Amino acid sequence: MRSYASVALLCCLLPLQAQQPTAPQPSPAMERAIAEFKAQTQALGLRAGAEQQGPRDGRAGRRWHGRIFENFRNDFLDAVPHEIVQRGGKKALLRRNQFGLNLSGPLWVPRLVDGRRSGTYFSFSYEGVRERISRTLLTTIPTLPERGGDWSAVVDQAGQPLPIFDPLTTRANPAFDASAPVSRRNLQYLREPFPENRIPVSRLDPVAQRALAYYPAPNTAVGPFFRNNYFVVSPETNRANGILARADHSVRERHKLSGSFSWSNGFLGAPRWFPNAANPGTPDRQFYTRRASLEHVFTRSAQTVNTLSFEAETTGSRSGEEQQAEDVARIGLRGVGSGAFPVFRFTPYLSMGRPFPISRTVRNTFTWTDALSTRRGRHSLRITARYARHQVNSYWPQYPAGSFRFGAGLTSLPGIVNTGHAFASFLLGLAEFAETSLVTAPSYFRRSSVRLSNRHQYDAANHIQLTFGLTLACDTPRTEKFDRQSTVDLSAVNPANGRPGALVVAARERRAFQPVLVKLEPSASLAWSPNGDSRTVVRLRWERDYGVIPLYSGQWATQAFNPAPTFVSPNVQLAPAVELARGLPPPLFPPPDLRPEAANDTVADLMDASDRQPTYQSASVSAERELPGAMLLTVGAAYSGGKNMLTGNASANPNAIPVEALRFRDRLNDEAFNRSLRPYPQYKGFDVNGLWPLGRYQRAAGYVRVEKRATHGLTLNLYVELSKQMDDYSGPYGRQEFYNRYNEWSLTAWNRPWQFSLTYTYEPPLGPGRALFAFSDWRRHLVEGWAISGISSILGGEPLALRPQFNNTGGVVTALRVNVVPGVDPRVPEPGPERWFNPAAFDQPPDFTLGNGPRTHPVLRAPRFQNHDLALNKRFALSPERTLEISAVGLNFLNHGNWNEPDTVIGPASAPNVNAGKIIGSRGGRVIQLGLRFSF
Amino acid sequence: MRKLLPILLLAAVTPGFAGKRRERLAVPVWVEGERLEAGTLGVRLGGQAARVEAVRGPEHDLLLLVVLDLSGDVSLAETARDALARQVHQLPAHTWVSLMRAHEGLSVILDPTADRSAFEQAVRAAPPGRHAGFLESAPTVMDLADAILRQSGVRVAVLFVTDSDVRRYREDFANPVINASDPRDLSRHFPEALVQEKIRKLDRLMAHSEAPLFVVHLDYRSDRLNEAYQAGLTQLAATTGGASEFCRSQGEIAEAIGRALARIASHYSVVVAVPERTPKFASLDLRAPGRTLTYRPQVPAEER
Repeated sequence: MRSYASVALLCCLLPLQAQQPTAPQPSPAMERAIAEFKAQTQALGLRAGAEQQGPRDGRAGRRWHGRIFENFRNDFLDAVPHEIVQRGGKKALLRRNQFGLNLSGPLWVPRLVDGRRSGTYFSFSYEGVRERISRTLLTTIPTLPERGGDWSAVVDQAGQPLPIFDPLTTRANPAFDASAPVSRRNLQYLREPFPENRIPVSRLDPVAQRALAYYPAPNTAVGPFFRNNYFVVSPETNRANGILARADHSVRERHKLSGSFSWSNGFLGAPRWFPNAANPGTPDRQFYTRRASLEHVFTRSAQTVNTLSFEAETTGSRSGEEQQAEDVARIGLRGVGSGAFPVFRFTPYLSMGRPFPISRTVRNTFTWTDALSTRRGRHSLRITARYARHQVNSYWPQYPAGSFRFGAGLTSLPGIVNTGHAFASFLLGLAEFAETSLVTAPSYFRRSSVRLSNRHQYDAANHIQLTFGLTLACDTPRTEKFDRQSTVDLSAVNPANGRPGALVVAARERRAFQPVLVKLEPSASLAWSPNGDSRTVVRLRWERDYGVIPLYSGQWATQAFNPAPTFVSPNVQLAPAVELARGLPPPLFPPPDLRPEAANDTVADLMDASDRQPTYQSASVSAERELPGAMLLTVGAAYSGGKNMLTGNASANPNAIPVEALRFRDRLNDEAFNRSLRPYPQYKGFDVNGLWPLGRYQRAAGYVRVEKRATHGLTLNLYVELSKQMDDYSGPYGRQEFYNRYNEWSLTAWNRPWQFSLTYTYEPPLGPGRALFAFSDWRRHLVEGWAISGISSILGGEPLALRPQFNNTGGVVTALRVNVVPGVDPRVPEPGPERWFNPAAFDQPPDFTLGNGPRTHPVLRAPRFQNHDLALNKRFALSPERTLEISAVGLNFLNHGNWNEPDTVIGPASAPNVNAGKIIGSRGGRVIQLGLRFSF
Repeated sequence: MRKLLPILLLAAVTPGFAGKRRERLAVPVWVEGERLEAGTLGVRLGGQAARVEAVRGPEHDLLLLVVLDLSGDVSLAETARDALARQVHQLPAHTWVSLMRAHEGLSVILDPTADRSAFEQAVRAAPPGRHAGFLESAPTVMDLADAILRQSGVRVAVLFVTDSDVRRYREDFANPVINASDPRDLSRHFPEALVQEKIRKLDRLMAHSEAPLFVVHLDYRSDRLNEAYQAGLTQLAATTGGASEFCRSQGEIAEAIGRALARIASHYSVVVAVPERTPKFASLDLRAPGRTLTYRPQVPAEER
C-alpha cells in the first residue's frame, strides 16, 4: 500500500513540478551583463554593505548641489508706468537687488559626520533683498484759499458754486410745514451763508489751523474743478534677510527623521504721502518669521506608513516706531493720547493722520499631526489626526491720539444736499463724530482646533475608483490668556434703559462667548475611465465643509478693558459732537470698566455667540482626454455655494434701523430719535470685525484646459473659464437693506465673467544633439541653452457698483444705491475712456428713499485686464554639473496700460457728476528683472 | 556687467567637454512590419553611410533595470508594485530583470534574474520612501545601463516607476518663499526655472546614453511646477529614445506599466559602426524597406 501511495503522490507532484517555471540559465552575453551589473553597482556603492570605490567620472562623488544668484532691477530697465507718464512724470525710482545661495547634499563634518554613510542630508538657503521703489498717489486736497476760509472759488462736482453756511446763524423756520418734505422752499431750519462764501479768519479753529501746517500744498491740477490736485511720488523701502535650513536622517531602513528651520527679518518702509507726522499713509513695519518643524516617518511595511510631525511657527510685526510724537503736541489738541498724530477725516479730501499708528503683533501656531496610510487589497485608508494651537498677541490701538470725522452737515443748509463741505466744518473745528482708543495692555488670544479625518479609497473595478472622506473637526472658541475679553450680549438686559443688549466680560467660569464647534465634513469622488479606455478619465466630486472662524490681529472685543470712548453729534446738521478747540473730555470711568452699560453710546464690539459657521458645498464634473501630440484636453463644470459667510460692518448690522423708518425723513437727523428706532438704542452701532456669519454665495463655472507636454521643445497650458458668481454681501459699499438680504442678491463684486490664461515654455532645438545648429565647437555656447517662458492672462471686467453722490437718509442707509432711469440703456455703443457707460441711465435717489438699482450692475463691467509676462533664459554649461544661467524677466513686457475703473458716482440731475462714466487714466508699465545664477 | 563679462568669456572659450570617440553605437529601434534584419537596414550617421554591425531583436536577451522611485501615496505605490509583480511574468524568458530603488538614494534591491517569483517577492516588499530620487539617480542608472550594454552586447533598457513630486526632492527645486515680507519678489514668478535648469543639465548628460529610458509616472499633477517637471521627464525619456507614461487615475497604472514593458520587450538594438569624422552628436537616418522604424533622431558619437 505504501508503494502505491508513493506512486500516487509522485504522479500528483510531477505535473506540478512540470508547471513550475524553471529559471533559464543565462547566456554568455547575459552572464557578462550580470557581472558588469554587479561590478558597477559595487563600485558605485549601490549594494547593501558596499563601500563606494570612487566614481569613474567624478560626477557620482560630487554630491553637493546648489546655486548662487543675484536678481537685479533698476528703473533704467523699466518703462515709466502709465500713471506717472499721465501726470507728466518721467521717472519712477527703482533699485532692487535680491541675492542668495542654496546648498544641499550629504552632511559632512570632519571626523564627526559622513552623511553618505549615515544617511544624513541637509539643505541650506539664504536670501536677501535690498529695494527702494517709488509709489504714486493722485488725490484731492484743499486749495490754499480754502484753508484760509476763502471758499468763493469752490465749486461742486458739476462746476456750480458751493455755498458754505454759518452754523452760528442757525434758527428754526417759523414757516416750516412739518407735513411736507424739507426742501429749499420748506426749510426746517434757516441758516445764512458766509458773506462772499468766506469764513472769517476769527472763526477758524486754532487747533485746525495748527494742524493745517502739516498739510502739504497742491502741486498739480489734473482736475476737474481743483480736484486731483495733489500728486506725490515717494519711495518705499524693502529690506529682508532670511534663511531656510533642512536636514533629514535615516535611522535604519524604516525610520526617517527630518527637521527644518527658517528665519526671516524684514523691514517695509512705507511711502510718505506727507513729509511729516500727519502722513495718512501706512506706517513703517518690521517683520519677522521663525519656523521649525520635526517629522518622523515610520515605514512599517511596503503597504503601511505612519508620519508624525510637529511644527511651530511664529510671525510678528511692529509698526509706528518712526512716529514723531513731539510734533503732535504742537497742535494743542487736548484729551487725547500722545505718540501719534490725530486722525482728521473730511471726505472727499485726503485725511490727516493714520489709524493704527503704533502696533505690535505676534502670531504663534503649534501643530501636531499624525497620518497613517495603509493599503489592504482594493482598499486604501488614510487616517489623519491634527491638533493645532493658535496664539495671537496683539497691541493694536486704533486711534490713540483720537479720530475726528467732519461732515458737510454743519456748514450746509440743513436738509439740503450739495451745500456745505466737510473741510469747512473742519476749519470751524466742528466734528460730527469723534473717537479715541484707550488701550491699557496687549491682548493674548488663544484658540485650538482638532481634526480627525479619514479618506477611504476603493478600487471598485479596473477603471472605477471611489473615494470617500469624512472629517470630524472641532474648533474651540477664542479665549484670552487673562480673560480680558468682552462683548455685547444681545439677550442681557441693559441697566441703563432696561432694553436687551449689555456688555459682558469673560470670567473664570465663562472664558469664551462662543460655543465649541463640532462638525462633520463629508466628501466623495469618482474617477472613471469609460469603456476601459484609459485615455479618457471622467471625474465627479462632491464635498461639504466648514470654514474656521479666524483669529484676527487686533484687540477687537476687549472693550471693557480697552475702551473706545465715542462722541456722537446730537444732530449732524445742527450741533457738533466735539469742538477741536475744547478737545475730548476725560473718561468718566477709567479702564477697566466692567459695568454692563460701559459700552453704551459707543460703536460696541459684538461677537456672534451662535453656532453658525461658514458652510461650503461644492460639486464638479470633468472629463479628461489624451489627444495626439502629447496633449491633454480637460472640460469641466463646477458649482459651489456657501452660507453663513463671514461679513463685515458694511454687510451686517444687527443694530440697523429698518428702512421703513425713512418715512420720518429729516427727523432721523436727530440722534436721540434716530437711536430710538434701533433695536439696541443704547448703542450707536456695532463692530462685528468681519466675523458676522450672514452671507450667501453661489458660483457656477465651466472651463476648458489644454495641456501640451514637451514635444519639439514646446510645453503649453491654456485655460479658459466662464463663470458667474452671485452673493448678497460682497462689494465696496455693502448692503443697502440689512433686513432684506434677498434684495441684495447680485453679482459678486469680484466676479470676472471670463478669464483666459496661457503659460508656455519653448526651448528651441538648437545646439549639439538638436535639430538645428548642432555645433560641437565654441559656437555651441551661443546657440544652445536658450529657453523662453511666458504667462499671458486676460480677464473680463468686474461688475460696476454705482453709487449716488449724496446719501441723505438720516443714517438709516449706509450704502445707498442709485435709481435706474426707465427706458435708458446704460450701455454705450463703443465704450471708451471718455464714455464707458451711459450715466444718464441712473439717477440720484430722492432724499430719504432707497435706490432701486442693483448692488452691482448685471451688465456694466469694468474694463478688462490683460497682462503678458515673458522670461528669456540662456544657460551656459561650464561643465556637466556647473552652469551659469542668465535670465531676463519682463513683467507686462508689452508695456500694456490697463484702464482704471470708470467713475461710478452718480450725482443728482441738478448737479450731475461730470466725470460719471469716464475713465481717468490707466496703470501699469513694463518691469524688467535681470538674473544671474550659477548652479553646481 | 563688468563682473559678468569675464564669466561669459570663460564660458565661451570653454572647450566642448571633448569625450572619447565611440567606435560603435547601439541605437534602440522599434519596427512596424516585418522583422528587422541587418542586411536590409541602411544607416546614415551624420549624413555618412554607416555599417550595421549587429541587430538584436525581441528574440535576443534583454536586461531590464527596473527602478522604483516611490515617495508618495502608498495606494498608488501598491498598485504599481502589484502591476509590476503580475506583468513581469508576461515577459519573455530571456528577459532578465533587476530591481533598484531611487527614493532615499539609489540602491540595488535585486540583482538581474530570470526568476519571476523572486522579482515579484522583491517588488512587493519594497517599501516607499520620503524623498524622490529620479533626478539624482537617473544619470547613474543610465551610466550603468550603458556600461552593461557595451560590455555584454545584450539589449538593455531602464524603466523608472515613479510617483515623484518635484517638491519631494532633497535638492530644492520648489524655491519656497524665504522672506514673506518681500512683496515684490519676481524671482518666483516663473517657479519652474530651477527644475527646468536641472532637466536641461540632465538632458545634456542623457543625450550620451545608448540605452532607452522609460518612465511611468503614477500620479500626474497639474500644478505649474510639477507640469514643468513632468514635461522634463518626457523630454529626458525622448532624448534616449525611450518614452514616458503618465497616469491620471489609479486605474491607468497597470495598463501604463504593461504598455511600457511591452514596448521595452519589443525593441531592437541596432549596433552601428561610427564612421570617421562623425560630429559629436550626429543625425541618424535608418531605412528598411517595407518597415516603419521609430528611433531617436540624434545620437552621440562621442562618450561623455
